[in-house]
Amino acid sequence: MSRRAAALTPYWLIMPGGLWLAIFFVVPMVMMLSLSLQQGDVVNGFQLTWHWQTYVDGVTTYHSQIVRSLQYGLASTLLQIVIGYPVAYWIAMHGGDRKTAYLFLLLLPFFVSFVLRTLSWQFFLSDDGILLGTLKSLGLVEQDYHVLATGGAVIGGLTYNFLPFMILPIYVALERVDPRLLEAAHDLYAGRVQTFLRVVLPLSLPGVFAGVLMTFVPAASDYVNATVLGGTNNTMIGNVIQNQYLVTQDYPMASALSFTLMGALLVGIFLYARALGTEDVLEVAAR
Amino acid sequence: MPMTETADAPAPAAAATLSAIELIGVVKTYQSRGEAVHAVKGIDLTIAQGEFFSLLGPSGCGKTTTMRVIAGFEEPTAGEVCLQGKNVTGVPANKRDVNMVFQSYALFPHMSVFENVAFGLRRKGVEKAEVTRRTAEMLEIVDLAGREKRRPKQLSGGQQQRVALARALVNRPRALLLDEPLGALDLKLRQAMQVELKRIQREVGITFVYVTHDQGEALAMSDRIAVMNDGVIEQLGSPREIYEHPASKFVAGFIGTSNLLTGTVAESGADTAVIRYGADERITVPVRGVFAEGAELELTVRPEKIDLRLEAPGNGACQITGTVTEVVYLGTSTNYNVRTSAGADVVVFTQNASSADDIAVRGDSVWLSWEPEHSYAIGTEAAP
Amino acid sequence: MSNLDPAFVRGLTRPRRDFLKLFGAAGGGLALAACGVEGKKQAPAKQSDVQKYWAGKTGKGHVDFANWPLYMDPKKPELKLFTQRTGITVTYKEVIQEAASFFAKIQPQLAAGQSIGYDIIVITNGIQFGQLVDLGYVAPLDHGKLPNFAKYADAAYKKESFDPGNVYSLPWATGITGIAYNPKYVKEEITSFASLFDPKYKGKVGMFSDTQEIGNFGMLALGIDPEKSTAADWQRAAEKLKQQRDQGVVRKYYDQGYVDPLAKGDIWITQAWSGDVFQKNLEGAGLKFVIPQEGGTIWTDNMMIPKTAENPVDAITLMDFFYDPKIAAGLAEYINYVTPVSAAKQVILQDAAKASGEDKKTLTDLAASSLVFPTPADYAQLRHYRAFKNPQEQKQYESIFQPIVTA
Repeated sequence: MSRRAAALTPYWLIMPGGLWLAIFFVVPMVMMLSLSLQQGDVVNGFQLTWHWQTYVDGVTTYHSQIVRSLQYGLASTLLQIVIGYPVAYWIAMHGGDRKTAYLFLLLLPFFVSFVLRTLSWQFFLSDDGILLGTLKSLGLVEQDYHVLATGGAVIGGLTYNFLPFMILPIYVALERVDPRLLEAAHDLYAGRVQTFLRVVLPLSLPGVFAGVLMTFVPAASDYVNATVLGGTNNTMIGNVIQNQYLVTQDYPMASALSFTLMGALLVGIFLYARALGTEDVLEVAAR
Repeated sequence: MPMTETADAPAPAAAATLSAIELIGVVKTYQSRGEAVHAVKGIDLTIAQGEFFSLLGPSGCGKTTTMRVIAGFEEPTAGEVCLQGKNVTGVPANKRDVNMVFQSYALFPHMSVFENVAFGLRRKGVEKAEVTRRTAEMLEIVDLAGREKRRPKQLSGGQQQRVALARALVNRPRALLLDEPLGALDLKLRQAMQVELKRIQREVGITFVYVTHDQGEALAMSDRIAVMNDGVIEQLGSPREIYEHPASKFVAGFIGTSNLLTGTVAESGADTAVIRYGADERITVPVRGVFAEGAELELTVRPEKIDLRLEAPGNGACQITGTVTEVVYLGTSTNYNVRTSAGADVVVFTQNASSADDIAVRGDSVWLSWEPEHSYAIGTEAAP
Repeated sequence: MSNLDPAFVRGLTRPRRDFLKLFGAAGGGLALAACGVEGKKQAPAKQSDVQKYWAGKTGKGHVDFANWPLYMDPKKPELKLFTQRTGITVTYKEVIQEAASFFAKIQPQLAAGQSIGYDIIVITNGIQFGQLVDLGYVAPLDHGKLPNFAKYADAAYKKESFDPGNVYSLPWATGITGIAYNPKYVKEEITSFASLFDPKYKGKVGMFSDTQEIGNFGMLALGIDPEKSTAADWQRAAEKLKQQRDQGVVRKYYDQGYVDPLAKGDIWITQAWSGDVFQKNLEGAGLKFVIPQEGGTIWTDNMMIPKTAENPVDAITLMDFFYDPKIAAGLAEYINYVTPVSAAKQVILQDAAKASGEDKKTLTDLAASSLVFPTPADYAQLRHYRAFKNPQEQKQYESIFQPIVTA
């Protein structure tokens, strides 16, 4: 091998991965970025004019939708932890030989398409439907009470749809906790609660951390739940982007909003990882 | 019993009259895949205050289950567990004043060495300054001062072992239970830790219950050993008793190397019997009880007790002939494998006290002889 | 590691020009993207264009048809008859829920000159209709292949302002946007736009998400004629609609999906398209449709052939087939939208004469219905869509009304 060829070898080696990244990540990103800085319309075409103003306009016009998306994403993520953690805990600690069966049952509804699942909630929760119709005829809720077309319905839908992505990483983390650590804690005078708080919980936090990453991002950028379960004031930024791309065909605005959302999520995740992703946090939690 | 006084130890008067641990008729039966597994089949055991006590046996003999019953991780199916004379059957582990050193340690990976050791004290609600003081003191004892901030992952196997020990001992428990604590260490470190453990035990004066399948470890460290097999205690005694006077064929086989010879009773006296071995050889062996002439009897004799010569040794009570099949030179000793006249294989160890050549070579016809009191008829000799 | 070539390690570790080349490649991507999205306004089609397009094209025996829901009897009797007569098979899909989103879906393929998988699409005379024509995405029609149209189509449909002379499109059906309500919940007679803004129906009112539909109603509620409206009128209408939304009156902004919630009771009163309610009532929904006293809006859905269609000859054959009065009558009987073939009325009356009992009454009513065969007086009451002069005007319009539906 000549010296020059040898010097090039590393580049040959990174080429498959590099190409993959370039084709599926770099090029689309660059095209999106370029698109966000263009001006024009579908009929006359779009021209790159470095029009950064689109970002300013996007944030001014749609800041409430961006904030709402982050709020809904956060609320649904917290709800998922509250619901998902006990479920994961129960399966991991008390599932016995049936763990796989329970996990399968948990995932079973998710073999149905995302949109269909959400639509079935719309059917189930409709104002005069199976649930509310019955409650209303029993006089348990007000006649004009409704669940659909509220923020609660959207958050509920997000929570339901992303729940497995929260449960599975927590389950994996809990499953990996050595049962002898629980015995050791028990042996060292820790009761059930203390054992959980000092040993199980800190050791499962990486699972919660992963779960939050896996659910917050898609939840905050979702548009299906707001479309199907939401009403007039529950529009999320995902809906706006979808609308800008697929209805209004204002591609630059859609791209600019996508980048803004991506930036907001990246900053949020970065701060979150800085705050919670280190071992010191586990130590503090364990003390 | 060796016993050093520590601040927390119970009053000597009470300690002298009470045993540290008492098991009465303990039985443990599991249900596993619809089948009952009898892990412990009825154990009575008394462990004295300050004793270094070993439970020795092969895997599956019930020794770990017995220890877990003492720790409170398992409820006995039947029987009672007493600590310091108090019945604690049904009391959960976190309310029992015993601590455990786990096999491969079970250190909390998310905590520093200091936090690991302080864990029990904090849970007991010991005052903060006291926690710091006692933890530091204990880390000093196990020679880990200066490593408080490390994570368990950053320590060597031996250091982790000592953290585990410190974590249990810092609570000054009534008894310390150790589940094969040295199993994960290499030979050199294991031997060093054996000495270390003995030292620490002497220093803190706490009762140690030590579970192991390594007979050498048990013999080296214990005040007393319970040899377990198939859920019962086969023999209970000091290391010397167990080695020198194995009560059963199992114990003889499990502890050290034993030669097993089978013959038929020729004469049966008050304390001894004469056994007909092979074609026309006679072996005298101490027995208790009278045996019918012609009854089959097994006797064992340790390899280091046998004298091997090329010519007949005087007029001994126990001497047989055989042919050397193998000679293995081991430095401090030489091992000979001998096929006896009756066709059994016997191992003989001889100390290499002088630098002379081997006594015999392969193929030589040799005489084997021993003192009658160094042999035991299996199942007839009660522990003296 | 020791046998690694040192040059290899240097290559791995030294940051240098090669790396810049990589960035250069990425920059190339930027340059690529910088060309912008394709889109050029085309000159209107001339007779020579028609000949050029249709020259050498022959039938292949199949048509792919994209239409809106509730626009044909689910048993498809007309299509079966067509296949029987011509041997041409038809795949009919109800894939159009909203004009804008359907256009956005097909636009990239049309821009790239690719087939969208449909030979006939049905487009309302709104923004997207103009865009399809302006961008040259649709085939100019060869009227030599449209004998039924020439013979039976009403004169009014041959000179529609959005496509005079039917260069690109033939009307499929005309409809009226009005108000539908569910009498199970609404205990009064609805006659006015005011009801859509009535806080009494808070959270039970449905509006369309289509910017033209919602803008029209906002203007009509203020007494403005959409067709003659100005940007200032749009602002006023948007204020009115924003107020309606912020008071919580509007439950949700719908596309074609408003019919089920209306039947289920999620909404009680809603903007609606005239024929939908009739078809839903065939399932026993018991809904009502009214044209408010202030007037509704009239629109026409038009059949078009994308230039990239694979079977344009079969498509134009099918389009002409629907202008056979018998076929038009059958269609109108089911969908209850205005048919461009008034001769169909005679056919329906003949059918009524032959029928008896319930059917007879239904058919007689249909022939008399102003929603299927409007009288000149009915037409006079209806308002038309605003036709935008240029994309800038349209963009301005959308930027005013889009934020209302995506709050």
